[in-house]
Amino acid sequence: MINFRDDVLPLKNRLYRLALRITAHTGESEDIVQETMIRAWNHRDEFESGSSVEAFCVTVCKNLALDYIGKKESQNTALEDTVLEQADNAATPFQKLSHEDGKKWVYRLFQQLPDKQRIIMQLRDIEGKPYREIATLLNITEEQVKVTLFRARQKIKQEFEKIDNYGL
Amino acid sequence: MDYKYIEQLLERYWSCETTVEEETLLRDFYKQTNLPENLERYRSLFEFQNEQAELRLGEEFDEKVLSKIDETVVKAKHNKFVYRLYPFYRAAAIVAVVFTLGLAVQHSFSRGDNSVADTYNYASYKDTYTDPQVAYEQVASALKEVSDGLRSAGLQTEDSLNIQK
Repeated sequence: MINFRDDVLPLKNRLYRLALRITAHTGESEDIVQETMIRAWNHRDEFESGSSVEAFCVTVCKNLALDYIGKKESQNTALEDTVLEQADNAATPFQKLSHEDGKKWVYRLFQQLPDKQRIIMQLRDIEGKPYREIATLLNITEEQVKVTLFRARQKIKQEFEKIDNYGL
Repeated sequence: MDYKYIEQLLERYWSCETTVEEETLLRDFYKQTNLPENLERYRSLFEFQNEQAELRLGEEFDEKVLSKIDETVVKAKHNKFVYRLYPFYRAAAIVAVVFTLGLAVQHSFSRGDNSVADTYNYASYKDTYTDPQVAYEQVASALKEVSDGLRSAGLQTEDSLNIQK
């Protein structure tokens, strides 16, 4: 039998960051984490270990976040409350960017990646998870994780090179 | 720090050949200032990764979600309490039946004592069956039906209690 404080609540920050990576909306991400945890608690009799709780939570959190952006896109409204909003100067030459602008530019790059690449990059580059664990959490093969991450990193690298090639 | 090694790590990072530990090392490396230009260009990427890993939900979130969880626990406890009362309902039903039967018996006896008009006159009885064997079988069959009815009612009550549990 799982314990809410020991097995579910400690996942809050990881789930929050995952939801935030997908929705780019702080308030909505918090609601998604809460909903995810309540659902996990309602299924508490079905979990055999703490790791299966995390896999369940990651799946629910990811799906709720994707549903949210799906609804937003169908309504054709812009995402609000994002750090991204001020990063409109992304085409500014890289060397002229301040540290802060540089991070916003990277943020924008991350957010432009396809959902799957973005989620895997979040779990690997920000949460520091091994390939095997990411594969288990997302219910895909390790090979698929590596291929998707490779595409994401190559895309980021190309964007950095584009800035270099603009004669900076 | 050997910059050559970092350059190699970066190349392997882009090709997804670095381990989790090597990627942590890269992120830690970019916490320092004054790097050569060819390494400086990726600062924003690793600083961004470090910064994003620090995003957290506050204590208020814990309180909010714990109060929601308590609500579900209280609800569950309440349901369990209701289920726990079922044996008492059963006992109360049995007491009610015994009490009703007792009243009925008492009533019939008191009627026998006080009412002359109701005195049983066996001489006036008319037989409904001529064969004692047939009469016996009829009585036995009637009693069996009553007994079966009571037993099946008891089983149904037990089943419904088990389902609710």
